[in-house]
Amino acid sequence: MHPPTQFSLATADGEEMQFPPDGPVLLALVKEDCDTCNLTLPLLEAVHRATEDGLDVWVAVQKRDDIAVLKDRHDLTMPLLDDDALDLSYETDIDTVPTLFLYDDEQNCTLQTFGFDKHEWREIAGESMTLAGRPDADTAIDWESLPEQRPGCGARNYEPGVYERLQALKSGDLLSRLVDLASSDDIHDFMYEQGYTDGFPVVPPTRERVWKMLQGTTRDPQEEVAIVPPNLAPITVEKIAINAVMAGAKPEYMPSIITLVEIACTETFNVHGVLATTMGATPVGVFNGPIRDRIGMNYLHGALGSGNRANAAIGRALRLCVRNVGGSVPGGTDRATQGGPHRMTMNFAEHEDASPWESLAVERGFEATDDVATLMAMSGGPATVADERSRDGRGLAGTLALSMSCMQDPKSPMVDTLVVLSPDHAGIFGRSGWSKDDVRECIMEQTAIPLKDRLRSADAGCGLAPGVVERFGGEAALDRPVPKFMDKSNIILVVAGSPAAKFSTILGGWAGGAYSTPTSARIGVQERRT
Amino acid sequence: MVTQILDPTDERVPIKRSLTPRPEALHGTIALLDISKPRGDVFLDRLEELLHERAPGVETRRFMKPTVAKPAPQPIKDAILEECDFVIEALAD
Repeated sequence: MHPPTQFSLATADGEEMQFPPDGPVLLALVKEDCDTCNLTLPLLEAVHRATEDGLDVWVAVQKRDDIAVLKDRHDLTMPLLDDDALDLSYETDIDTVPTLFLYDDEQNCTLQTFGFDKHEWREIAGESMTLAGRPDADTAIDWESLPEQRPGCGARNYEPGVYERLQALKSGDLLSRLVDLASSDDIHDFMYEQGYTDGFPVVPPTRERVWKMLQGTTRDPQEEVAIVPPNLAPITVEKIAINAVMAGAKPEYMPSIITLVEIACTETFNVHGVLATTMGATPVGVFNGPIRDRIGMNYLHGALGSGNRANAAIGRALRLCVRNVGGSVPGGTDRATQGGPHRMTMNFAEHEDASPWESLAVERGFEATDDVATLMAMSGGPATVADERSRDGRGLAGTLALSMSCMQDPKSPMVDTLVVLSPDHAGIFGRSGWSKDDVRECIMEQTAIPLKDRLRSADAGCGLAPGVVERFGGEAALDRPVPKFMDKSNIILVVAGSPAAKFSTILGGWAGGAYSTPTSARIGVQERRT
Repeated sequence: MVTQILDPTDERVPIKRSLTPRPEALHGTIALLDISKPRGDVFLDRLEELLHERAPGVETRRFMKPTVAKPAPQPIKDAILEECDFVIEALAD
């Protein structure tokens, strides 16, 4: 709490009062629905009357409508000031009413208190009489009848909702343009029509909500986080917070969302190409580390969607940032031929405890205790692989291989593919003693078909151009087995989902390599790995 | 009732660009830019043939982006600007 040095407030009659007045002043801040304020207002009135013109007693009331109520209730004649806007309360940062400040005739605050402590109030009343030049006059206060102490009440400027509104208005954290709505506008229709949404309703980004969202990060609201394609627009922490509110995020998701935005805008991940491609790719986020539980991410039932706020909102916030700040809009620079539901949001946590292996993050060089997000570009939506019969690694890897062999088309080799193993399927590999590389090598082996069957033909125009045969060594290589994947490292293995069901999921990647490389970063730390 | 929201966009006013004045006739050098999409070369080969046939005095020069997924690198843009009078880009599939 800080004693104010100057302010201007109006009385209920509209008279503007400039603080400080000439001479000593006793300033109080009160509210109507506070028993302690009602206990002490007659004391302030008594001091006002006893000090006559020797000292001003000003009372700021935290709600305009309460001024008349208090005036009638206690028969008050001292000036009651209107702090309905809470300007004075915010500036002094009081958290309790009543709060008292006593100033001498040089405008130094010499005494202050809050709540009711008889000893302190008696001291302030006595000092007020001294400053007024009437040290021996009687205030007519029956101190003996008053309790020794009464706690004050919470000040209105700290009430939930009010505090956030004041911070949003006065903290200077928010610099984004305000968009005014007409009274006839439906907020949800308006936001859709402005092009702000992904089609689903969004949470309106009011100043209060955005300010609360910013409390989820220690980063400066105006810090530039990244340059977002395709418009190459700088994105600040504040802009991320606005889009995070719209996505339905909670403040504790902010570090994760900021990290995803940073990863997406790297040269290696290349979100420009990911979203511009006619193939309809989208960023897919996988989370590792303690943050999964800390912010309530889902890696159990329905981990890949739907029903979990963190999983859904974090991925959606990234998409909205790229849409609204980067300008990636379907039909504009987002040229997805068909798209897919996974382009709304596709984000989940790995079920690390159910995995027989090290987590994706550890495999990529991080510590198990690090909070890590990995972003990869996937153009294929989740496709189920059902195998309830295999009981060993080879059988299950074979099923996966057959399921993966037709991704995109049955002939073309492809790059990054995400395999999300259910705990039951992961357990089969674990019990067989298979490493991740064992699974990958088996899939490479099982998907391999002769080069001639990967070439374009009159019966199926997909596949490799005949000219590539030379690169494989000419005609003699036509019978050489060629796996579905360019390299075994293209097969990305993670574990997620609930136990007791032998279903896994595959998501086909986009183009890999220079187009887009899976990229990981520690959440809240600017350090990336590809 | 919500009456004000914060703008989620980058707030930049779109820049209006006017078209370069159209020339009366083709002359000088035309850049043919292949963005590395499949069959872009087929299209540009045919276009080059037609240009040589119908505009004999005009030279053509071929350029190619290293990847379709990213904007053209600055050196390619600089070379086109420096060496050519026109550019034809073969976009998409």
